[in-house]
Amino acid sequence: MIDFLLEIGFEEFPPNFLVRAAKSLTDQIETLLKQKKIFYRSLRTIYTPRRMGVLVLGLSRRQKPQVVEIPGPPKRFAYDAKGKATEKLTGFMKANNLKSNEIISKRTKKGDYVYGRKEITGASTENILRDSVPSIISNLEFPRTMVWNDKRVRFPRPIRWIVALLDRKPLRFEYAGVQANRYSWPNQHFSFKPIRLEKPREYMNFLRHGGVIVDPNERKKIILTRIRQAAVKSTGKPIYTNDMIEEINCTTEYPEVVTGNFDQRYMVLPKEVLMTVLRAHGNVIWIRDTNEYVYVFSAKKKALQNVKIGYERVMESRLNDAHFFYQNDIKTGLQKMLAQTKGMTWLEGLGTLYEKAVRLQNMVEAFASVSGVDMEELKRAAILCKADLLSEMVREKEFTSLQGIMGGHYARSGGERDGVADAIGEHYLPRFVGDRLPKTLGGALLSIADKIDNVVGAFLSGNRPSGSNDPLAVRRSGYAVIQLVDAFDIHLDLSGMINAMLKIYRRKIEDGVLPEFFAERLARYLQDKGYRYDEIKAVLASWNGDVADAKKRCEALKSFRGSAEFVKLVIGQKRVRNILKNVKAAMVVDTELVAETAEKALVKMGGKIRPNLDAMIRSKDYPEVLKLLLEMRPAIDKFFDDVLVMCDDKKLRENRLAIVSTINDLFLKFADFSQIVIEGERT
Amino acid sequence: MKKLHTFENVIINLKQFWQKQGCLLFEPYNSEVGAGTFNPATFLRILDKNLWNVCYLEISKRPRDGRYAKNPLRFQQFYQCQVIMKPAPNDIQQIYLESLEHLGIKLREHEIRFVEDDWESPTLGAWGLGWEVWLDGLEVTQFTYFQQAGGVDLQIIPVEITYGLERITMVLQGVQSVFDVKWNNALTWGYVYRQNEIEYSRYNFETAPVDTLSALFVTYEKEANRLFDEGLVYPGYDNTVKCSHLFNMLEARGAISISERAKYIGRVRALANKAAKLYLKKSDEQANVSDD
Repeated sequence: MIDFLLEIGFEEFPPNFLVRAAKSLTDQIETLLKQKKIFYRSLRTIYTPRRMGVLVLGLSRRQKPQVVEIPGPPKRFAYDAKGKATEKLTGFMKANNLKSNEIISKRTKKGDYVYGRKEITGASTENILRDSVPSIISNLEFPRTMVWNDKRVRFPRPIRWIVALLDRKPLRFEYAGVQANRYSWPNQHFSFKPIRLEKPREYMNFLRHGGVIVDPNERKKIILTRIRQAAVKSTGKPIYTNDMIEEINCTTEYPEVVTGNFDQRYMVLPKEVLMTVLRAHGNVIWIRDTNEYVYVFSAKKKALQNVKIGYERVMESRLNDAHFFYQNDIKTGLQKMLAQTKGMTWLEGLGTLYEKAVRLQNMVEAFASVSGVDMEELKRAAILCKADLLSEMVREKEFTSLQGIMGGHYARSGGERDGVADAIGEHYLPRFVGDRLPKTLGGALLSIADKIDNVVGAFLSGNRPSGSNDPLAVRRSGYAVIQLVDAFDIHLDLSGMINAMLKIYRRKIEDGVLPEFFAERLARYLQDKGYRYDEIKAVLASWNGDVADAKKRCEALKSFRGSAEFVKLVIGQKRVRNILKNVKAAMVVDTELVAETAEKALVKMGGKIRPNLDAMIRSKDYPEVLKLLLEMRPAIDKFFDDVLVMCDDKKLRENRLAIVSTINDLFLKFADFSQIVIEGERT
Repeated sequence: MKKLHTFENVIINLKQFWQKQGCLLFEPYNSEVGAGTFNPATFLRILDKNLWNVCYLEISKRPRDGRYAKNPLRFQQFYQCQVIMKPAPNDIQQIYLESLEHLGIKLREHEIRFVEDDWESPTLGAWGLGWEVWLDGLEVTQFTYFQQAGGVDLQIIPVEITYGLERITMVLQGVQSVFDVKWNNALTWGYVYRQNEIEYSRYNFETAPVDTLSALFVTYEKEANRLFDEGLVYPGYDNTVKCSHLFNMLEARGAISISERAKYIGRVRALANKAAKLYLKKSDEQANVSDD
């Protein structure tokens, strides 16, 4: 049994894709060992900001021997009557380099056959690793890479060393101009001298002495414990997320913590501002509602005092800046900033930010019928919501992400009503997929209006999304509109809202383009909600612009699709679709021409069901709609069994097509069933 | 007694250090720049295939960063020490850390963090990958492997190391504000620059004439284009740099809207791209001549 260590050393790696890269490296090594049938006892992923690798313990020296069976001639031709090998057999043995003790016979379906059975010794683990590791490294994928020397190999940051040690022996290979060897490098705060490794088992301890905890799990535990210990003396609790801890883990080799304070006078700053300042400084964790924070650093403990002084100095400068902006902004007030929005272009050709706000104010009129809405507050929020883009705070790069939030604070401090401030504060939400939604109805409605304006504006200004190109990220806006309309259960017709917006712009867009855009967003949304693509397609074929309604229809389809009856119904509708494929104009059924029993029955059934169906669709009772449609199936089946639609008589044929078409229209009121994919069917 | 690391000594020590690394000691540019990258000793010299190691002081002017001398760390003008090594040596990160030790920063007593920073100068059409280097949380250096400049992929990858000299000295002297940094044994940075900061903050934010600046931008842009058409790289590039500074001034005055901003940047970048292409064309021609 031997051990293997692979460590790729580099200059500080981007923390947001380190974990993924390290795991991919481990996975590939693991797959290689399994594929090549090399046994190992344990495998451990290693990463720090300056290295990634794997430590494999208890490897076999060689691949497991492989048994190969080569089929030969039938047994009866292989041996003569005396049981001696024939020429056929000796020829087979020669061709395959087989000895006589490697010949066996086997009973197969076709009779007894001779086989050559060989045991092939496996290749050495050393050769396999040496040959495969470079290509495994080059197979790693990253979102962003660079070149740094004349080898022009791409990697996120320069590779500076590679340890590839199989027991006591380094594997000889070169990658990106670096020769693999047995030398690793310590934490630079500890030493500049390389660490010589005799064997992989020394790795974790030797590196620990060099100021590097190479095991990410161990490091994470240390980080969490240290943060908790540091916060114990404080009155508040540290606020952090798992993502933050993971990021800290990816930026520290040797975690130590220190607590720091900032001046009490900065406690007047909004919580979001405090957190933005602290978060901008990487591994800083705020202790909620206090002027204290914990900082996780990656150096010698001796550095603690300098780090504390250093951080307090930086925080003082940043908070001083934020405080300066905040006070100036409050002095200026939203009303004055609003006046300045008249001079700030929003989008080329679509006017100023002020004009946008005026559009939003008009747009929100469409929400007057939404229950619980305070129109006076909503309209006030609409006109003020973009003013904070002119504030000193939001204009500063570091705080741009606080757009809206600052507007909310400035509205409140300027004496606006809470409903106004809340709506302004929340009107950008959700900003990205998975972001939180507004809490207030006002925030949601203003967000919907703003996003519809973004979408319509993009389409009017030559910024339409196409392919992978979406210059103003309006697909996200469109999706958010759907999400909000559904979450707040707002029964508003989306196409109506789009038209209202176009009217405000006094501009036109080709028919169908925007409804199609929103239908695509809705399809995506419903897929994310767990509906199948065919269900969504079926429902959207009959979509009227109401988001909640589309969801209800999908739900009904989903709950019925398992039943055998439903499957038959879908198959029937597919037949209908095929028959009607070439029918262009709508036709009227001539009752005089309805002769056969099955024909009469179907026409009668259709007439009977129609009023009930309309009523149920009006009351959105979709399970009942489906039940009703299912009731029609026997009559439809009978019709197709007994009546020849495509008969020679033109009049009869057209009348029968008309019957099929009217029945189909009934189904289409709910959904296009022919879109549903039936198990086993090829699409 | 503890040795005092004066501001001027830090500058001298850094230059000595990089001189020993084989860098040519250059001097600052003669027109306003936002960073040492704009100096032709960086922007133009990194484009060709020739070896180029250089170190120089640069006076960086960033009109928007003025704070009327009221912020301990922010000001509209500061000193940079700019180092370019082309090609970048394999152990450049360690050399950099040694330069800090050479200045008196003991790595055992401080934390140096390399914080991911994908550097980009949209006006120069340049980008690279690297880090901001934080010394006890304070950004003291920008460390970048350039990948592209003037819209051109670089054939040989240079490293750019840009030190913020006031900040490093502040840490060395253990003071909380740049204004308290001792320039020499008698005078402080604040004594030398406080009034300058206050007056320039006023000028940049309040009284710089927007119409004049806009008109100057157009003039210099025209001049740069004319010079490029005549095949004059350096004079054309000097005018490009002036446009860049005028744009920074207009921005500080809040005179540029979001969409106009992109247009201004595009206009400066177009000039920078012309300079880069012309420089490369001329250096190819020269290479051919010397080959003959």
